[in-house]
Amino acid sequence: MNKKFLGFFYFALTVVILIAALKIANYIPTALQKDTMRRYHSIEDVKSNLNIREILVPYYFPQSFVWPPSEIFAQNKPFTAVVMEFKHARNGDVALIISQADSKNFKTDEKIKMVQIKERISYPLKGRTVALEAGMCKNEEPCSRIAWDEGKYRITVTAKSSPPELLKIAESMIR
Amino acid sequence: MNISSFFSSFFNSYLGMFMAQAFCHSIIAFIVVDRAVYLWSINNPLIRQRFHLIVVLLPVFSFPLYQIINPDRGSISFRLGALFDINRWLTLELWGTIPLGLFFITIIIITTIIFIFQEMLPILKHTVESRRSDIEAEEADDNSVVGQAIENLPVEKPDVFVLDDDDYVLFSTTGKNASVYLSTGIIKKLNAEQLRAAIAHEIAHIMRNKRPLLIVVFLFRMIMFFNLVVLLEFRRLVQEEEKICDDMAVAFTKNPRALSEALKKLYHKNENNSPLQLKKLSEMKDSIEEYSHNVHIENRMHRLESGGSRKTDGEWFKLILTIIVITGINYFVV
Repeated sequence: MNKKFLGFFYFALTVVILIAALKIANYIPTALQKDTMRRYHSIEDVKSNLNIREILVPYYFPQSFVWPPSEIFAQNKPFTAVVMEFKHARNGDVALIISQADSKNFKTDEKIKMVQIKERISYPLKGRTVALEAGMCKNEEPCSRIAWDEGKYRITVTAKSSPPELLKIAESMIR
Repeated sequence: MNISSFFSSFFNSYLGMFMAQAFCHSIIAFIVVDRAVYLWSINNPLIRQRFHLIVVLLPVFSFPLYQIINPDRGSISFRLGALFDINRWLTLELWGTIPLGLFFITIIIITTIIFIFQEMLPILKHTVESRRSDIEAEEADDNSVVGQAIENLPVEKPDVFVLDDDDYVLFSTTGKNASVYLSTGIIKKLNAEQLRAAIAHEIAHIMRNKRPLLIVVFLFRMIMFFNLVVLLEFRRLVQEEEKICDDMAVAFTKNPRALSEALKKLYHKNENNSPLQLKKLSEMKDSIEEYSHNVHIENRMHRLESGGSRKTDGEWFKLILTIIVITGINYFVV
C-alpha cells in the first residue's frame, strides 16, 4: 500500500517538475532575445522600448469601441509587429484588432476569425490600394477586414462591424 | 523576406504549428509515459505497450483537437500565457542571424529520410516481393521433427513450412492461410523443446495479428513521419510486441528456458564491437544496430529466465491518469 502511494506521489512530483521545467524553458528565449513578442501597457511604451518610430492609430474611433487598447503586443524579432486589441463598449468582447507588421504573412485574427467571406474588393484609398473583405464571424456576427501596405508595413484592421465603419477607421489612419 | 521571417511565417501556419506542436507534445508524452512506467514498475509488456501507444497516437490528434476546442489557442495572448511556446525557441536567432528553427527543420528532414529508407521502402519492397515470388517450401508433416515438436501445443496449429536453407530463417504470415516458415538451418540448430518454443512464438504473432493493432498504429504513425520521438517510440512498441509473444509462447509451452535458449542460439551475437572504436561511419552504423539488437535479445532472455511479468491486471486507472496528465499539460504547450 505504502509503495503504491509512493508511486503516485513520485508521479505527481514528476508532473510538477516537468511543468516547472517547461516554464523555465519558456522564459529562457525571452531573456536571451529581448525584443520578441510581449505585452506592453501603452503605445508610448512600445515606441520607447522597441524603437518603432511610427505606429498607426485611428483618429476616427467609433463610440462602440473602448479606447485605449485593451491589449498591446509588439515585437522586433523576427520582424517588427504591433498588435492592438480594442473591446466592444457594450459586451466587453474583443471587437477591433489593428496590426502593423513588417511581414505579409503575419496573422492576428484568431480573436476575430472570419468564418465566411461574402465579398472581397480592392480599391484606392488616399493613394493606397486597400483590400476589403466583408463576411461573417462566429455566432453569425457581421465582421470585416481591411488591409493595405504602408511603407514597409502591412496594416490590417479587423472589426466586428460593417465595412463602411471600418473604412472610416482605416481612412483616419492614413495621413 | 529574411530567413527568420520565413521560419516565423512557416511556424505560424497550420502545418508549421501542427509539426512543431506535435513534436513538443510527443516529447512531453514520452517523458510522462517513461516516468509512469518506471515509477509504477509496469513490467507486463502488454500494459507497457498501451502506455507507449500514448506517445505515438496522442500527438497525431492533439493539435487539431485542441484547435477545435479553442480556436483562440493560436492567438498571441494565449501564446504569451502558455506554459511553453515552441515558437520562442524556433525564432530565437543565434549570433543574431541563424534561427534555431533551421535546426528543427534539419531534424525533421533527417527523421523523414530515416522513415523513408528504414521503414517505408523496406515495407514496400517486402510487399512487392511477397506478391511477385512464391516461396519454395515443403509442408512439415506430423511425423517430422517439426510436426512432433509442435504436436502438444494447446492452440490451433497453422500450416508449418520448411525452407531448404542453412541460414536461420523463421517467420510467419497472416491472413486467410496463416503459416509459419522455418529453415532447415534452424531445425538442425535447435532441439525439440527449443523448436517448439520458437514456433509457439510465431503462432503467438499469428494470433496477435488477427487484431492487427500495430498495422493500424503504423498508419497513424505515418502521419508523424517527421517526428523523431514517434520514430523511436514506435520501435519500442514493436519490441514490446515481441515480449508479448514471448509471454504467450511460454504460456503455451510452459518452458521459458527453451525459448530463451532458442533466442540465444539464433539471434544473440557474442562478439560485441564497441561502436565508438570503429573508424568508418557505415561500420559504426552497423555496429550500433547490432549492439541495439543484442541488447534487446539479452533483455528478452533475461525476462524469460527471471520469470517474465508478474502483474497482469489492466492498470487502466494509471493509464487514464497518464493520458489526462499529458493532454492537460499539452493543451498549454503551443
